[in-house]
Amino acid sequence: MTITDEELTTVTDALREVLREDQVLTGRPDRFNRARVPAPFPVHRWAERLPDLAVLPENTEEVAEVVRIANRLRVPVVPRDGGTGLTDGAVPLRGGIVIDVKRINAIHEIDTENRTCTVGTGISMLKLNEELARHGLIYPDDPASYPCSLVGGRIGTSGWSLIGSRYGHTRDLVLSFDHVLPTGEIMHVGDGIGGKISKSSSGYQLKHLFMGHQGTLGVATRATLKLYPKPEAEFSPFFAFSDYDSAYACVGAFARAGVGTFSGAVLFDEWKVAYLRRDDEAYIPQPADVRALACCVLYGHEDEVRIGARRLMRIARDHGARYLGDEISEGDWAARHDRYATPLHGRTRSGQVVPMSWHCEDAAVNYTKLPQVTREWHAIIADLRSRTDVFDDWGTFCYTSAATGVDYLTEIDVGIWEQQLDDRAWEMWVGAKRDIAAVALRHGASISACHGSCREGEVDLVPDELGRGFGVMLDIKRSLDPNNIMNPGKYQLDRAYTSPGGER
Amino acid sequence: MSAQNNGAGPFRYSEQYTPPDPVRASEVAVTRFEDAFEVDPRLMEQWVLQQTFPNWDTLRIMHARADHLDWMHRHFAEKVVSGSEVLAEIDE
Repeated sequence: MTITDEELTTVTDALREVLREDQVLTGRPDRFNRARVPAPFPVHRWAERLPDLAVLPENTEEVAEVVRIANRLRVPVVPRDGGTGLTDGAVPLRGGIVIDVKRINAIHEIDTENRTCTVGTGISMLKLNEELARHGLIYPDDPASYPCSLVGGRIGTSGWSLIGSRYGHTRDLVLSFDHVLPTGEIMHVGDGIGGKISKSSSGYQLKHLFMGHQGTLGVATRATLKLYPKPEAEFSPFFAFSDYDSAYACVGAFARAGVGTFSGAVLFDEWKVAYLRRDDEAYIPQPADVRALACCVLYGHEDEVRIGARRLMRIARDHGARYLGDEISEGDWAARHDRYATPLHGRTRSGQVVPMSWHCEDAAVNYTKLPQVTREWHAIIADLRSRTDVFDDWGTFCYTSAATGVDYLTEIDVGIWEQQLDDRAWEMWVGAKRDIAAVALRHGASISACHGSCREGEVDLVPDELGRGFGVMLDIKRSLDPNNIMNPGKYQLDRAYTSPGGER
Repeated sequence: MSAQNNGAGPFRYSEQYTPPDPVRASEVAVTRFEDAFEVDPRLMEQWVLQQTFPNWDTLRIMHARADHLDWMHRHFAEKVVSGSEVLAEIDE
């Protein structure tokens, strides 16, 4: 708790003037449940990340009222959607009010003629697509947290989509949205006038500014989204290779082939195969000469998918790929939409099973830099593991971000034994995260393609990555959030103020 | 109900808690039912102890996962084009 009991009473009383009793939550379970995120953190320090209370607004105006109260009383506000982010965007670092948007989950309109829908940002893509399927439509924003992440969180993190190489990522799929600024003003933002416009040259392009800010610039509450026909067909072959270089070459060739239905390709390195060989039923029986994997994915009309599939199958054959069979291919791809449901455990150096949580470090890396970046990352984790059993290298994936194959969401998955994560191990981890980010920058990569870069460690290097742009971030933050109430402590944005609490 | 006869017949405790003998699947895994792999019990002796499941539950979990994956396919597309089908076409 970061505010006194007296201040808490003042805040709670003010909130109860604009919300019902059941929308203002002060109980311990209510607060504890809204401090929880998937990324590992030392268990003994969780109390540092608790909100003082949580609210459940049901529309834009109620969110605005809450933010106005917070701004007036100088109380931190943290927006929380699915809470599935891996860079702590939804974690309150200074206590205050968590705005849980899950009740803002209505489907307001499905416009089949213009191919858009307008929804409350508390809806999940899965629930939305169940409804859209009745109209033969899909909203193809597909993160690995697909069943549990929410549209608003995707906006706040500017999310990355597994099938973004065909359909684009969240920034491409969200046309416009209503947004509550840190002062409590309500803004509609999109291209130009917003609404259902997909391309405008009128005024500054503000939409991207209000995406990916990790809740530091306000709360998206109602969004208009671009829709596509629900695909007739899916094709997702997985291939085995006896060496990494062949798999790397094959994935590059998939991405460069210019197939219209190409939705993504993935490269799995030797460390990832070794990890899967321990615990994944598809890979346990694979022969020892399987050392790297690749897959490609097509979605679209069946005739188009079949034409593209033949081309990519020939490319795979020319690169010495061994098809892993229909069951593995189809099962593995289907499981990628829902990685958060995967139970996890790692190994000590002696091979004993230990409970571990998943930490995913990601970067946006050009194709030609993938081998070097991933090798250097593995060396960093190998050094950690040589010192302690707390960390386990679970290998890397590289996913295409675009249809041309220019850059890849490159992630190294690290198992962390959270119960053993003491202060010393946490410091080691933060140092490793900083080193991982530094490797990315040295190779012209961006620190994050997907999750954001505001956790301890990598966040130290964000000013290096953005250069003068980081100063512009500080100027924007100070201008829009004069009292530093909106998710304070993130992205080093406190540097915009004379004191961390803003100009109090 | 036998392990192979999932869902039919009476529950017999001793039968359900007597899994088939393990067959080694790799250096670190064994299998007792077709397509159901488990970590070699010797690797689960210190920090995480292996849980005992009745046979029907092991199979239920495995089948539930297959159901979940089938659902996910249907959710994203009307049908799946299989790799083996396409391979056969390009081999013609």
